[in-house]
Amino acid sequence: MNQGMNILKKGDIFLVIIVIAAALTALAFYNWSRDKHKEGSSAIVKQGDVIVHRINLNEIKEPYTFEIEGDYRLVVEVSNGSIRVLEADCPDRLCVKSGWLRYKGDIAVCLPNKTMIKLEGVNDSVDGISY
Amino acid sequence: MGTKNSIIYSIFVIVLIYTLSGCSNTDRLNREQPFERNDFIMGTIVSQRIYGKNAEKAAVKVVERLKEIEESMTVNAPGGEINKLNENSGKSKVILSSDSYHVLKTGVKYSVLTDGAFDVTIGPLVKLWGIYSEHPRIPAQAEIERVKELVDYRDIIFNEANRGVMLKKAGQMADLGGIAKGFGGDEAIRIYRDWGIKSAYVNLGGNIVALGNKPDGSKWRVGIQDPRGLQGAYIAIIPVADKTVVTSGDYERYFEEGGVRYHHILDPRSGYPARTKLISSTIIADKSIDADALSTSVFVMGLDKGMEFVEGIKGVEALFVDENRKIYVTDGLRKKVVFKGDESGYEYIEKR
Repeated sequence: MNQGMNILKKGDIFLVIIVIAAALTALAFYNWSRDKHKEGSSAIVKQGDVIVHRINLNEIKEPYTFEIEGDYRLVVEVSNGSIRVLEADCPDRLCVKSGWLRYKGDIAVCLPNKTMIKLEGVNDSVDGISY
Repeated sequence: MGTKNSIIYSIFVIVLIYTLSGCSNTDRLNREQPFERNDFIMGTIVSQRIYGKNAEKAAVKVVERLKEIEESMTVNAPGGEINKLNENSGKSKVILSSDSYHVLKTGVKYSVLTDGAFDVTIGPLVKLWGIYSEHPRIPAQAEIERVKELVDYRDIIFNEANRGVMLKKAGQMADLGGIAKGFGGDEAIRIYRDWGIKSAYVNLGGNIVALGNKPDGSKWRVGIQDPRGLQGAYIAIIPVADKTVVTSGDYERYFEEGGVRYHHILDPRSGYPARTKLISSTIIADKSIDADALSTSVFVMGLDKGMEFVEGIKGVEALFVDENRKIYVTDGLRKKVVFKGDESGYEYIEKR
């Protein structure tokens, strides 16, 4: 290996450095784009056994709210990249306490209303929460 | 030595960089998309995540099985064997299915082990407080005293030969709410195994059961709910494989009156929500039915007794959080648990 290095010409070393730099840049870009993917893009809203909404959060230009009727009433707020239950008239309001859902695997559940909002995909930091 | 060699050398370096960066292996193995399914069963949400062949079929079987368990063991809806057992309290014996018999027996086992800190006949107290109703309330002291008399696991008479069971006094009620979900989790794992699945994860309303490792060989990362944070925020991560993690806390179901938090974990001996300065207790074990019973038990026992109790059981670990936001763990968990650090607002106490 040492001998090989000695034989390398100046131009060769230059080329090697450029190729390595390009490789590192590509790797950095790859990791960066992977990080970006941690943020969920597709939200599903399920009521009972039925998916009632499927929302692409990246396409949201203007934030808006919509309501889910059932035994109780939920107000859901959608904005670019995130979604949350803004208001609920159920007794425990655990869904509201879930706050904004932003990352893959984030979930908000209203048991009394059998409603679930989930960002599709698998979370990178935890597989689930024990509560 | 010319341009050709230097290109070869460059390629070698690039391959080296990518291999060392570790992105190739883990990514490739986890790229296999798991089958996911979420269902409302047993009064909670059941989330399944299964890798490999037959994932969808197994998930369907698990849903069917959990619905079956719910129907036979519920006390929050009409019908089922446990309701029948309770309706016949003080009158006659009821023949139970092997499922219900087994779960009730396990409930009694933990009632005995914990000397009544956990009591499978807690039903009348749960009903009195209206914990699972729209309007929970603080009962009068006299009512509590009267109803408390009905809570006693020693009043269940078992006939091993024909699975005949009877509650001695009229008005007594078995309540499998503290362990049925745990049993369901164990059944889910059994079904996954039957279908040849090597890697799966199921979350039954916060009761987590993990089969094997993740496909890349790493452990499942289970977050422990921040008892005073947003739903889904966690204070620590416990990596597990082939284990179950079950947490009980005072934040799941409660109401407040006069500045006092009345939560759903009742102490069978006082008749009131357990007041032990604990706000959360987590059990890590092999069987989810055990973990389910134990997490409730140690919450009622409190930090000192609970810790001592768990340290005495082989293969069972625990994590406790008290009202001062201090976290305590069993010896066996010390090296495994990953804390989020001080910014979480919780303090890990290594030595007591």
